[in-house]
Amino acid sequence: MADSTGQVTADREIVISRTIAAPRELVFEAFTDVRHLSQWWGPTGFTTTTRAFEFREGGSWDFVMHGADGTDYPNWITWREIDRPVRITLLHGDSADDPNAFESVLTFEARGETTHLAMRTVFPTAELRDQAVKEYHAIEGGEQTLGRLADYVEAQERR
Amino acid sequence: MGGVARAPTTSDAFNAIAEPHRRQILELLKERERPVLELAEELGMTQPSASKHLRVLREVRLVRVREVGKQRLYGLDARGLRPIHEWAGGFAEFWNESFDRLETYVQDLKKESDHGR
Repeated sequence: MADSTGQVTADREIVISRTIAAPRELVFEAFTDVRHLSQWWGPTGFTTTTRAFEFREGGSWDFVMHGADGTDYPNWITWREIDRPVRITLLHGDSADDPNAFESVLTFEARGETTHLAMRTVFPTAELRDQAVKEYHAIEGGEQTLGRLADYVEAQERR
Repeated sequence: MGGVARAPTTSDAFNAIAEPHRRQILELLKERERPVLELAEELGMTQPSASKHLRVLREVRLVRVREVGKQRLYGLDARGLRPIHEWAGGFAEFWNESFDRLETYVQDLKKESDHGR
């Protein structure tokens, strides 16, 4: 893939996609209101406290993410482009002046009765990508699916 | 096998999972252990092809095998999974889990809006 300046971004991007059995308008809707976002944002066990929320281009979402272990993570998002119900481009960091904030583009594609949701995140540099992976890994601890899977498989092997 | 020069795919877990069929095998084994014939059928390939992929996955310790009676059952091996998780895990898994929750939440919204009609 290439970014808007034509540069190849493969070493500093992460793409995550999912097909959801619901109409596109509804999936998009879940990204537009803090009432919805607070219900699903973050892995299992995470909660959020919102300080400010304004869903419009140039608007922002200022919130704290609470990890399952009680750790707080400040978060800040601003919406750069909102093309309802097709695409959302946002900048995500820990505060409004975070120099390491990164851009994510969410695309919503209607496929019959389902919606194909893709989130493409391009980090400013490969180093920042690796750093984010490490930080999110730390946030999640050993709680998450692949990690749990490895633990589970290990436990099975010890039996 | 002995004496054959090793291609990079057989020495590095990251290279091993660059091949789509091998990722499919891991997906299938995530559910449960399976014999090679079943894997071959699921993937629509011959048994020798499936065996070849399994051999690569075993060499990088992503897959292990155990004998149950006369059957050889293939399953996931944590030793190879760990470094991949540590490299790619955090960010992608954060969002995969979020999208799991989103999916459930949107289903609830859908039910509500259907009822509201």
